[in-house]
Amino acid sequence: MNAQAFLQLDRVIHEKGRLAIMSMLAASPELSFTEMRDTLKMTDGNLTTHIRTLQEAGYVSITKSFQNNRPLTTCSLTSSGKRAFTNYINLLEQIIQQTKPK
Amino acid sequence: MTTADHFALDEIDFVIQSHRMESNWAAEHLQVIRTLMERSAVYRRALAPIMTFNGILGVAAGVIGWSVKINSSRGFIGYWAGVGVAALAGSFLLVRRQALKEGEPFWSPPTRRIAQALLPALFVGSVAGLVTLVYPDWDFLQYRSLPPFWMVLYGCALTAAGFFMHRGIKLLGWLFILAGCALMVARCQTVTSLPPLNGHWAMGAVFGGLHLAYGIYLYFTEQRGNGM
Repeated sequence: MNAQAFLQLDRVIHEKGRLAIMSMLAASPELSFTEMRDTLKMTDGNLTTHIRTLQEAGYVSITKSFQNNRPLTTCSLTSSGKRAFTNYINLLEQIIQQTKPK
Repeated sequence: MTTADHFALDEIDFVIQSHRMESNWAAEHLQVIRTLMERSAVYRRALAPIMTFNGILGVAAGVIGWSVKINSSRGFIGYWAGVGVAALAGSFLLVRRQALKEGEPFWSPPTRRIAQALLPALFVGSVAGLVTLVYPDWDFLQYRSLPPFWMVLYGCALTAAGFFMHRGIKLLGWLFILAGCALMVARCQTVTSLPPLNGHWAMGAVFGGLHLAYGIYLYFTEQRGNGM
């Protein structure tokens, strides 16, 4: 078994909460903070921390706007985030292939 | 040693211990990702108020149409087109209200997908109604055949939208399709079936009744379903 695939797994994405956020954003052009919080059942603080980490890694972009005088925060994957997520999925598939019983 | 380094070492140790378990872990991980991606694309607005509103409107429209005896072809089509517009406008407002309440954009990607899925069949139904209204002697479709035709098309629209909504919507779509088909068969069986007044009855019972039944069902189940 080649452990190389495991070493290549993106540590930023691999954390459970951040992987969930990346998965949701990969399926939708953009999602609001509340949509993600409700679906993932995370606290505001937890979600904010994970999103900040992803933003610092350049994987997620955040847009803040106002809708009917209420603040609206929406997140979307950057092109680098999409690339990183695709690589992550490819590596997982590679791991499955490598460890499949012959 | 950073947390990330520690995490990476954990993973490698685990690999060395069991390849089979690691394969399962990766497969489970992929499954979680797939589920989350599907959830993210699913329409999340509560459907119970929308279904109940349309159910009450449909039943009321059927009763009013039947008791007021709107029995000309133009009257029938115009009346039910008006009911359709009212249903659409009411649903739109309910969805918008929910979005505002939750501080989310109304025209979100899932909403767009639902609208795109509903549009083709609803468009065909509207055009069929309009053509029958303008050309009452059109030999392809007469206004007495419109209720089952609309039901089948509406069922197709719901089935298409069901790919981006709760699974129950597909079933509701199929019930509309089956009801429409049953009415088509009934129409062929007797020459006098589905005259306008019976048409009101059929529209009220199927459009109103099915929406209302589904709305009531959702009131008891949606709270739990939204927790997905």
